[in-house]
Amino acid sequence: MEIRLRILLLTVLLGLSGSLSGCATLRHLFGHDDAPPPTPAPAPADAGSSTDRSAADDTTPPRVIEPAVERKDVKVPRIKSEDIEVGGYVGTLNIEDFGAHRVFGVQAAYHVTEDFFFQAEYGASKAGYTSFEVLSNISLLTDNERWYRYYDMSVGYNFLPGEVFLGRNHAMTSSFYILAGVGSTDFGGDSKFTGNFGAGYKILPTDWLAVHVAVEDRVFNSDLLGVSKLDSNLEAHLGLTVFF
Amino acid sequence: MLLLSGVLAGPAARAADQHLQVFVTAPYLQMHTGPGRGYPVFNVVDRDAGVDVLKRYTDWFKVRDSRGVEGWASAHDMEQTVYADGTHFHYDTGDLNAFTSHRFEAGAFFYGDYGGASEVSVYGAVFANPNLAAEVSVAEFLGTASNGTTVDLGLVHIFYPQARLAPFVMLGTGVVRTEPKATLVEPDDRTEQSAYVGAGLRYYLTRRFFLRGEFKEHIIFTNRNQNEQVDEWKFGFAFFF
Repeated sequence: MEIRLRILLLTVLLGLSGSLSGCATLRHLFGHDDAPPPTPAPAPADAGSSTDRSAADDTTPPRVIEPAVERKDVKVPRIKSEDIEVGGYVGTLNIEDFGAHRVFGVQAAYHVTEDFFFQAEYGASKAGYTSFEVLSNISLLTDNERWYRYYDMSVGYNFLPGEVFLGRNHAMTSSFYILAGVGSTDFGGDSKFTGNFGAGYKILPTDWLAVHVAVEDRVFNSDLLGVSKLDSNLEAHLGLTVFF
Repeated sequence: MLLLSGVLAGPAARAADQHLQVFVTAPYLQMHTGPGRGYPVFNVVDRDAGVDVLKRYTDWFKVRDSRGVEGWASAHDMEQTVYADGTHFHYDTGDLNAFTSHRFEAGAFFYGDYGGASEVSVYGAVFANPNLAAEVSVAEFLGTASNGTTVDLGLVHIFYPQARLAPFVMLGTGVVRTEPKATLVEPDDRTEQSAYVGAGLRYYLTRRFFLRGEFKEHIIFTNRNQNEQVDEWKFGFAFFF
């Protein structure tokens, strides 16, 4: 009886050791570390043999077919935007008390909607002589102080958009616009806070080119001639801008 | 072989010059003579026909149909077109959602007061998330006692960015260049560092536009006995993109 019990226990122990040896956590326990990793069996020479295939299925993982076609990144062409307008202008600036003189400037605008735009301008002119200076032969300003330089930032509004027709076959878009803003004027050795407002008309011979005719007034408080007063400096200019 | 490779490379080389093509899903797509709502409609493109999108000006797209006729279509009408893969064409004209979350913004302050002097300034900001932005502003102040320029760099935190009226606070540092006006003794121009705290309000108007008003309190670190404190008020327009 005792011998039979021993045989039974030993049989159970042997059976357990055989089944637990497949568990990864117990591999070290039973010294299976040295066993080489399973290598995939070579492809069967006779692929048509079902018995070979079933034998291979038991030993090798299923093969994933790698497509030989490269995946293409489809790039949607970018739409070119033309909201920014940059250009220059030349015109006449009437500097109060100092006469009217040629003015040159550059301008840039960002069109936010078809109606509204932001615009920045920078221009320079050189003032002449006051009547007092001419008659008395006394110079009130140095040569450098006669440079009249300004910049401004404005908000503009396009109104009365339309088309201009050149004969039967050509039409150009056009628009009136008004603008107002603030800026700075450097003249007579001092910089002054300047308000500006004006109106203009532009014609676009092509989508990307515009011809401007504009009139603007720049107003600032000046005490250059000893009395504090509001100076009004009217400017008319012809400009050429491109959109990009 | 060379000829074959040349033929195969041809479309790829030309792809760079190709325009985006979209297909009309509405009964028709109207083409205007100019980029504006007032310009007359002179051509329509039928449903399922394709058009090339040549360029964009504000909310208008210049398109060309299969016959080579070019005209302007509104962004609203272009929403009724699809790409070749069937997905809808969409152009973001700006809305309250875009106001809540965008990458860049810029603006100009048309009213400014810097310690009693009139001020002109512009700013630009880049957003890390809808609440937080890094901002740089440049200003010129023009007063009776002195003129000068300031450059500020700082952080802005926006509360409730999803609201049409959103408050914000600011913190940063800057540089002030002051040019005192000549009196009996002409003082030197000076450049000093400053720090500021501030708060303001942003109010969404429409499309990409919003209003912005703010107050900053600057402490200017002078080399005199006392630091200088300057209050700054600004109000202006801004847009995001």
